[in-house]
Amino acid sequence: MEFGPHFFLASLEGAVNAAVLALMAVGLSIVFGIMRVVNVAHGEFFMLGAVIAWWISTLAGGHPAVGFLFALIAAPLIVGAIAAAADHFVLRRINYDPERTIVATIGLLYVLQQTTLMTFGPEARPVEAPFNKRLALPWFEKTADGFSMYWPWGLSTTSYKLAVIAAAVIILIGLWLFMTRSRIGLIMRATQLDREMALAHGIPVDKVYALVFGLGAGIAALAAVLIVPIQQAHYLMGHDPLLLSFIVVIIGGLGSIPGTIVAAIFIGMSDGIISVFFSPTVAKIIATLLVAFVLIFRPQGLFGKRSA
Amino acid sequence: MLELNNIESGYGDVQVLFGVSLNVQPGEILCLLGRNGAGKTTLLKSIMGLLPLKSGAIHFNGTALHTLPAHNIAKQGIAYVPQGRRLFSELTVAQNIEVGLMVQGRSNQTRERVLDLFPRLRERLKQRAETLSGGEQQMLAMARALSTEPRVLLLDEPTEGLQPSMVALIDEVTLKMRSEGVAIVLVEHHLDTVLNIADRVAFIENGRNPETVSAYDLSRTPEKVMQYLGVN
Repeated sequence: MEFGPHFFLASLEGAVNAAVLALMAVGLSIVFGIMRVVNVAHGEFFMLGAVIAWWISTLAGGHPAVGFLFALIAAPLIVGAIAAAADHFVLRRINYDPERTIVATIGLLYVLQQTTLMTFGPEARPVEAPFNKRLALPWFEKTADGFSMYWPWGLSTTSYKLAVIAAAVIILIGLWLFMTRSRIGLIMRATQLDREMALAHGIPVDKVYALVFGLGAGIAALAAVLIVPIQQAHYLMGHDPLLLSFIVVIIGGLGSIPGTIVAAIFIGMSDGIISVFFSPTVAKIIATLLVAFVLIFRPQGLFGKRSA
Repeated sequence: MLELNNIESGYGDVQVLFGVSLNVQPGEILCLLGRNGAGKTTLLKSIMGLLPLKSGAIHFNGTALHTLPAHNIAKQGIAYVPQGRRLFSELTVAQNIEVGLMVQGRSNQTRERVLDLFPRLRERLKQRAETLSGGEQQMLAMARALSTEPRVLLLDEPTEGLQPSMVALIDEVTLKMRSEGVAIVLVEHHLDTVLNIADRVAFIENGRNPETVSAYDLSRTPEKVMQYLGVN
């Protein structure tokens, strides 16, 4: 394939990456922004979402769309509930102390991962996409009489991949409206800005924290349900998305949702493109290097605020 | 009304208050006077449930406030204007007031009433709190607290660092609240203000309350101010 169509194909793969990564990282960012908790177990909530999606889709039977639709609703709710329980039984007990929550969520990571290994097993399991039409894509070439369109061999995507991108955009817009327009969003932002004053104004901060931790995990699970027809469910699948989400959140600025989304698009796209042209390892090396530079030259991230 | 009984409180292992007893009645301004670090802010935070009591009790019209979780204190009708304003900086003026209104589920009527007290805020409803001037921020902190329609108002240095016209406005609103029967606990450093608007003055020294006197008596015995504050 020539460079042009090849690059276009890589960008499409990158866009799918970016869409899922944006969801994942926004979940991490909300939890850090509001609760000041660095949730190392975030990748495991993603993994749980995928595994539960597999479980539901095998239970449901019938047309793959039925199981998938169930999973899309149930998996985020189940994972959100597990996270809210973890908040209640673990994080609250250690008073959301920054250092101890890191250790606690590392523990949570292993508990979730090993429990999944013991019950679900070590195999990677596929989930069938609800629809998966192959779409050939056109490209343009310059000929003697101007531009003409042709269909290069191998340049194609699937309707499902495009749907993942669209779904991520819709979910992110919905989340933004929820945070900025709804009453619960207002309560969450007030808690983020000044926890003590939120308490003094009747906001039950404990409940807000449980909700936020559940919401962050639920978004990760939702991202996983969207990607699992492309990637397969596996008990170790949480590692890479966790690493990339941390990279994204640091580059974007901790706790800044617009920054997180911009960084997710940038990192997701470049990860996809570099993976296609070079190798996934080179892509990770470059992303990690970028984080190092951000930490040295702009520690608050691209969109973050310097703490006073 | 609001009654503090022998309360002991502080930050973690550091005890700040050692058996303070006070009370404040409806339509009364009780001023807390004492040096920096004497425990005035700690006292207000303890009332709000933001610091746990080590011992003692706080009752408000028969309800034991010290047994309630912190987020339920405001719902009892107690509002807090903290030192340094502590606004929700990235929220707009309207949203800050909205947070106050949510405490008791108050309506538009309360909102209008509060905005009538501070017409300047009405012009700035869509502006982010952090972009307001110092005086406007203080107005907003007051407005946010008054949106809860409190029966007790805790004010921690509300006029600190403000220009005289702003100080006058804040004092005016404080007096208006008193005339409406709100019980007010005021931490204030300006002695003139204290003598002008307070009904009683509670001295706080090293986490204790050695004496509470009426403002009238204090104006006749200025040596007490020298004794507790070290100033004339």
